[in-house]
Amino acid sequence: MSTTTSRTPAAAKRTSSSSRFDSALGWSPGWGTNMVLRIVLCVLVFCIFALPFAAIISGAFDRNSSPTEITLLPKTFTLANFEAASQQGLWGYLLNSLVIAGGGLLLQMTVSVFAAYSLSRKKFRGQALLLLLVLMTMMLPEEVIGVPLSLVLGDLPLLGLSLRGSVLAVILPVGIWGFSIFIMSEFMKEIPAEIEEAARLDGVGEFRMLFTIILPLCKPALGVIGIFGFMMVWDQYLLPLIAANDPSDYTLTVALSVLRNDTTVGPGVLLAGAVMAMIPSLLVYLFLQRSMIRGITAGATKG
Amino acid sequence: MDSKFTPRSRGALAFTLAAAALLSGCSAGSSKPAAADDGQPIEVWARAGTDASTTYAAMFKEFTAKTGVQVNFQGVPDLDQQLQTRAASKKLPDIVINDSAALGNYTAQGYLVKVDKSTVEGNAKIADSLWNETKGLDGATYGVPFSRQTMVTMIRKDWREKLGLPVPKTQEDLEKLATAFATMDPDGNGQADTYGMTVPGSTERGYMAWWASSYLWQDGGGYLKDEGNGKFSATASTPETQKGVTWIKQQFCTPGNTQPGALTAATSVASPFFQTGKTGIILTGPYNFSSFDTSLGGKDKYEVIETPKGSVDSTVLAEGENIYVTASNGKPEQTKQVINYLVSADGQKAGMTAGKQPIVRVPVNSDVDAAAVYNDPRWAVVQNALKNSSKAFPSAINFVPIKQVAAEALNKIVADCGADNVASGLKDLDTAINNELTNQNAKS
Amino acid sequence: MTAAPTKPAVTPVQATRSTPPPRRGKGNRAHVLAIWVFLLPAAVLALYFKFIPMAEGIRLSLFKVQPFLGDVFVGFDNYASVLTDARFMEALGHTVILGLTQTIGALVVGFVLALLLEGQAKSLWFLRTAIFLPVVTALAVVGEIWRILYFPTADGPLNTILSWVGLGPLQFLNGTDTALWSIAVVGIWSGAPYNMVIILAGLAGIDRALYESAGVDGATIWQRLRYITLPALRPAIVIVLTLAAIRSLRSFTEVYVLTGGGPAGSTEVWMTRMYSLGFQRNDIGVASAAAVLLLVVTLLLTVGTQLLARRKAER
Repeated sequence: MSTTTSRTPAAAKRTSSSSRFDSALGWSPGWGTNMVLRIVLCVLVFCIFALPFAAIISGAFDRNSSPTEITLLPKTFTLANFEAASQQGLWGYLLNSLVIAGGGLLLQMTVSVFAAYSLSRKKFRGQALLLLLVLMTMMLPEEVIGVPLSLVLGDLPLLGLSLRGSVLAVILPVGIWGFSIFIMSEFMKEIPAEIEEAARLDGVGEFRMLFTIILPLCKPALGVIGIFGFMMVWDQYLLPLIAANDPSDYTLTVALSVLRNDTTVGPGVLLAGAVMAMIPSLLVYLFLQRSMIRGITAGATKG
Repeated sequence: MDSKFTPRSRGALAFTLAAAALLSGCSAGSSKPAAADDGQPIEVWARAGTDASTTYAAMFKEFTAKTGVQVNFQGVPDLDQQLQTRAASKKLPDIVINDSAALGNYTAQGYLVKVDKSTVEGNAKIADSLWNETKGLDGATYGVPFSRQTMVTMIRKDWREKLGLPVPKTQEDLEKLATAFATMDPDGNGQADTYGMTVPGSTERGYMAWWASSYLWQDGGGYLKDEGNGKFSATASTPETQKGVTWIKQQFCTPGNTQPGALTAATSVASPFFQTGKTGIILTGPYNFSSFDTSLGGKDKYEVIETPKGSVDSTVLAEGENIYVTASNGKPEQTKQVINYLVSADGQKAGMTAGKQPIVRVPVNSDVDAAAVYNDPRWAVVQNALKNSSKAFPSAINFVPIKQVAAEALNKIVADCGADNVASGLKDLDTAINNELTNQNAKS
Repeated sequence: MTAAPTKPAVTPVQATRSTPPPRRGKGNRAHVLAIWVFLLPAAVLALYFKFIPMAEGIRLSLFKVQPFLGDVFVGFDNYASVLTDARFMEALGHTVILGLTQTIGALVVGFVLALLLEGQAKSLWFLRTAIFLPVVTALAVVGEIWRILYFPTADGPLNTILSWVGLGPLQFLNGTDTALWSIAVVGIWSGAPYNMVIILAGLAGIDRALYESAGVDGATIWQRLRYITLPALRPAIVIVLTLAAIRSLRSFTEVYVLTGGGPAGSTEVWMTRMYSLGFQRNDIGVASAAAVLLLVVTLLLTVGTQLLARRKAER
């Protein structure tokens, strides 16, 4: 690949080829067989992963979308599907989803960061066991705990409250997600102990340690749990279903599922709903990508 | 960082388990609470999406206007799950409107109380055959028929006429028509992209068995038979059933007679083939009339015909909904009024026309004519089939597992075109069905 | 540990420090307090919304569940029903094959994607977002797309592409020997971008100075990958593998949406069996038993993965 040019003198290295060390494979920005290869691969990858979705998007804008063919451009462009979607109340459900996803994600990230800090930066006996417990929370399929969970939601043990019909009934249970805790703790473990010790000598307390020293070093991990956490809450199906007191409490995911089983709703409306459901997650991903990609001022973060 | 305090995490674990055990043990009480009137409006549940719920709401509004009885109606899409939750808190909704097929399961779980047929006003207007379908294993009546329908055969009229073929009257005719649709380019677009029958052949939810049942009955076969006294026995490997299954396998193994991918298609995947003009024949319920009218661009594009005859008759599958009274119901007076209204001519008509989506398909009240109310002669075909040539799955038992094993067996048989597996596959199915019946204490 | 024990039988057990313990009474308490305060929110939420329902779910596996009439204790009958079901063993085999194929496939493809799309160029931002589409889309919709792509006739989209390279039309989801692999491909397709994100995050944390010094030393790209990148990606890979161990046994929706377990049971997996034996028959006890078995196997697999990860780290 581009290795033969690696032995450039130090002066030249500082100017143009610093980008060679920006990525693991050392792509260089100039034109050459390297760039062509990369472009070819990128186009291939795009066709494989993204092109099928042109069918979804074109179907949402098409008056007669055919569920048996893939068409990349709508045959008869129309916004009628989205109008029909509003008549079904999908925008209202979208709002519900946004509220729940926003609140749920906030809670989830906070809980996970705190728990991960304790599990990764402190040493105590039974740590491995606790981590295993954390992972265990993800091991029973949710259908099996569905009815017991709905009983708990209807009557919280020791508190006797019912959460049903409020957004808390979805936000609180999604606040605990083993995946987030696990990822944060794995990434936090990688931070060298010296940094923490140096800070302790300066008399930094626990909260300051977490927020000003540890977290800034974990930005990529935060980005990861941000995007996956958002999607996890967004895609919840069973929980909003059992937590709802009324169909108006449904989230978009639930509403789309109910509509899918309704024989009178056309495929175009379902596709319009699917497009509406995809966009927030994509926006969150776009927004959080920044943290997951190395910043331009690389090298300044360590030490 | 090497503090050595006692591992409280272990204590925490112990506490967690103990608390969980204690708190979950609280729900293990097992006595049925006595039903009493709590002064709240009578609670009625039905499985309904948003459109169907509008019809129920309108219907109950009319009911309250007429009788002054308040009704708390809930249209619940995931009825089974919610019902289980309510059952676990020992407080079922007063009335549940759900599939007639649910009767077996509900009686086994103890959800229902007996219904006295004679207290239902106008009970003579409901056919005896329908009342028989609401009997439990002990012979008592556990539900009131509310709505019924049958499957009907629909054909692309424009295709058939273009190819100059007559309306199929027998299973052989149907097969020939399917082949013609697949090979003779009936939509005239020069491409071999049309197929014969629209088949949901997936094992998901037992769809394959659901679809195949009509054809098996038409040849005199079937999955099981009622021996009377709440006992049944499997009939899956009788020669008649074998004949029916062989015919079905032939359809799957003749290229084009069924749509591609039929083996793994649920109805949501299969029906669009008919709707988008890829297949020309479909056997499905009348609830699809309006969506087919829209997607095919007009009622004249397709016709609803009397189902072609098998070697014995033209039996098709009948399904429907019942009104169930639960064991938590402490309002006998109001319940009676609700039931009387729901099966009265007014109530049935309201169920057909009051909202966006009909919840009564073919009325159970013989005074009401579906074709007249819907102003659509195609409903007469459905009504006729219901009266003269339909059969329902037995509702006294839980038929779902039987439907499931039947679907799995049939799917396996038709998946292997090269093998001569009809007899052996059906023998295995016979055993499986008998096992299931034994599990339910319904084996004769 | 002190090498020469003094009077073992008599000396009371003290903190085994060779130096007197620092006066950390207050600091030690704060330390302990910090641990528990930080764990508390997670612990409370987990107790209420995970462990209590889970304990109940496990309890139900020993009963014939009749919510209204009251549950009847049946011991291990439910487990027997699950284990003696003819199709369950087949389903187990399919689950393992599917799990392994999807895990390895998604890991490799995700890794390649991450390497390919690493960088700050605007075009890369766009590409990475576009590639993420399979992950943000509802599985039901993904299923619909792939059903169309997999259309088994000669003019189905994938078959058309295959014909360009001279390969015959395949049955894909419709054939008993091709259905499982077709589902595996869909799983890899929707899982690779997921892994790509995690690996990109791992790549972002690699110290660029290491690359520079490798460049100075004249290392080839492959050597750089092997000795710097891969080891630095260890946590990311451990995460991916652990999650895969947990998730792969539970694959359900994509199988259900694509084939419903057919044709002829060739794509039955653990969860579809659990559905058929349990939920569809309203037999929650059996469903819970199948779920508990799944839990035990997942636990073993996870513990195994974690041990392997720790051992590799120590090497």
